[in-house]
Amino acid sequence: MMRRFLLAALTAVVFVGASAASAQVPSQPLPADEAFALTVTSESGAVTLSWEIEEGYYLYRDYIAATTADGTELAIQTPDGELKDDPNFGVVEVYHDALSIQMVPTGSDILLTWQGCMEDSICYPPQTRQISFEKGVGPTLPDTGSGTSMSPVQLAAPAPAAVDGTEGLKLANEPGLLDGLSARGGAALVVAGFFGLGLLLALTPCVFPMFPIVAGLVMGQRQPPSLRQGMTLSAAYVLAMAVAFAGLGVGAAWSGQNLQVALQSPVAISVAATIFVLLALSMFGLFNLQMPRFVANRLERIERRRGSIGGAALLGFTSALVVGPCVTAPLAGALLYIAQTGDVVLGALALFALGLGQGVPLLLIGAFGPRILPRSGAWMEATKWVFGVLFLGFAIWLAGRILPGPATLALWSALLIGVGAILAQMPRDVKAGQLGVALGAIVLFAGTLQGVGSAVGGKDPLRPLAPLATGASQSVAQPEGDGFATVFTAAEFEAALTDAGGSTMAYVTADWCTTCRSIERGPLSDPEVRAAMSELSLVKVDVTDFGPDSQILLDMLGAAGPPTMVFFDESVSEAPGSRIVGDTESEDMLRSLRMVSQ
Amino acid sequence: MLLGTGALGLLPGAGRAQELTVEAVLRDPDAPVMGNPNGDVTIVEYFDYQCPFCKRMHPTLKDVVKDDGNVRLILKDWPIFGAPSVRASQLALGAVSLDAYEEVTDALMATQAKLSNADVELAVGSVLKIDDAMEAYRADRAKWDGLLERNDHQAVSLGFRGTPAFAIEKTLYSGALDRATLEEAIRKARAAS
Repeated sequence: MMRRFLLAALTAVVFVGASAASAQVPSQPLPADEAFALTVTSESGAVTLSWEIEEGYYLYRDYIAATTADGTELAIQTPDGELKDDPNFGVVEVYHDALSIQMVPTGSDILLTWQGCMEDSICYPPQTRQISFEKGVGPTLPDTGSGTSMSPVQLAAPAPAAVDGTEGLKLANEPGLLDGLSARGGAALVVAGFFGLGLLLALTPCVFPMFPIVAGLVMGQRQPPSLRQGMTLSAAYVLAMAVAFAGLGVGAAWSGQNLQVALQSPVAISVAATIFVLLALSMFGLFNLQMPRFVANRLERIERRRGSIGGAALLGFTSALVVGPCVTAPLAGALLYIAQTGDVVLGALALFALGLGQGVPLLLIGAFGPRILPRSGAWMEATKWVFGVLFLGFAIWLAGRILPGPATLALWSALLIGVGAILAQMPRDVKAGQLGVALGAIVLFAGTLQGVGSAVGGKDPLRPLAPLATGASQSVAQPEGDGFATVFTAAEFEAALTDAGGSTMAYVTADWCTTCRSIERGPLSDPEVRAAMSELSLVKVDVTDFGPDSQILLDMLGAAGPPTMVFFDESVSEAPGSRIVGDTESEDMLRSLRMVSQ
Repeated sequence: MLLGTGALGLLPGAGRAQELTVEAVLRDPDAPVMGNPNGDVTIVEYFDYQCPFCKRMHPTLKDVVKDDGNVRLILKDWPIFGAPSVRASQLALGAVSLDAYEEVTDALMATQAKLSNADVELAVGSVLKIDDAMEAYRADRAKWDGLLERNDHQAVSLGFRGTPAFAIEKTLYSGALDRATLEEAIRKARAAS
């Protein structure tokens, strides 16, 4: 910091020297804030932005823009400017003396950008100011700090962001799902609508991982649970899950982030994986995840009725946040709605309803699962054992998001070989035993494959031997890799966009995004889709190691998390209605691709 | 395979870490030099291909440098007018390894002030193939992106309020200069050295 001040001071001295030395040097250009003095006033709902433009300076009409904090372009009406037509200038519209623009407040902060020049001398970099709208106070410009004269460093500091952020990238500003529902039928329709959407989402890969968790939860009880116990346990799970979804909304309002995405950190994943290992051990009977004996004795009657409701709730909460980080269209819509309007209550309610809707099949499993299976005896023990293995599998699946591929394959190998070995030792004199031995052989073989895969550096448990298959010819193991430039920061993304020069598809993805894998094996591997994509520049926005850079990228794209696909036309504007959030099919991708390829 | 683009893009930090020295401003090893490479006076111009005053004075500047015969001229891209300016800079820098930098720069400077990407390509296309220039730029991407980053950092640190801005040896000038002022500035710089 000190160095900058020194530098600025030194520069000032040199400048003074320069202008004193030569009388012909044009007068020093004013600081941008003095050349174009902005005032913001608010009256009866409308906001007026006024620039007082010094004599000899002018503003460009084309370079006045307003965006929301997340980069969404806002429509602003600018008056006709004076036409400047000159062999050197081309035809441009400019404003002299003063400019005044009315706009409707958005309820959230906006970023206002403008750019101008001093006649015959110098053109300023884009100037960007944040304008805050506080309830009842009216709009305010943040204090730029040291009075009116800005230090040179501040002057151009926002320039790079403004150049690329507002000029380079235009997002389609479309009313979200939640806006629409809310406008049509108020809060009740929003809640009902999101419950319905939750029901639809309940049968997607996002929720599948939760089925065995809930099943294990109700089956893993010491006594086979009654209908009511099963219902209560799964209800606790589902409620906690819905609360976690609502919490995402509150978290988004508070931090501006999708916490679900932010929670894909090694720590959170390790904690969740550990919970599953403990659960598995408990299933194997190593210890009981129940209250200490003396408490349990006293509360035995209640205890018997409630099972471990607390445990169920904990699992539900964790599941929603860490296990199934699925960004679906309704989830993204609700999060963005909260971010844009600041309406936490409605947004959180919508997300809560979404969670409940997604939980309906889980309730059914909880209620009827125990009915379907035999009640007691060896079966019961076997069931617990099966779920123990399943939970260990979950732990490995979660850990796979942060462990190197071969390590994950080694864990799978260990689990499968262990299970296979145990199955292979089942008594062969009964039918079930013979079946078990046969199954054991298969599992042993699968485990061996994973082990070999780990040894040769395989990464994908579903294709453990991929490195052998591709051989030494190519080091590219992932078919989805070709054609995509991968970016991790906003600067790289901007460079890639500038580079592209034509239509661009940005695909937000992460290693831990399970839906992304199904998209990559599905529509992204479809030859027809690949052919349509080949006409575009493809940019993969990788947010695997989620950090501040990733958040900036998500904000730039107005995305809540992976998977999100944004389609830009040649002028780097998003084609309205083309965005794809969540799981998708070839037809949808082709439709969006067609919208920008013409 | 394509991770390369991502990894190279991680370099901007390197540009920022540069110390601001007279040497860095006047003798950046990556910045292409026009005029007389062994000249005793260096003119560095921070400019944008869409900045009207940069363009208007460009012929004068080239003329003064040619007449003097002993001036090193360095145009430092400082794209402040958005994506088309960035693209113009990328294509011009790509032309360096194709021995067409000066021609491309002159063609871009002869355009009207406001440019679209298509205008930029039309101007550059009059000298060489766009794809060749882009490919050449990409081949040296780390170098050029680092240079652009340093240019921006220098211009801001030197307190320049916009384009054009000049460092003529150790003296800084802000805004467009006429012929007389340019010649006087060169004379002073030569006398001081």
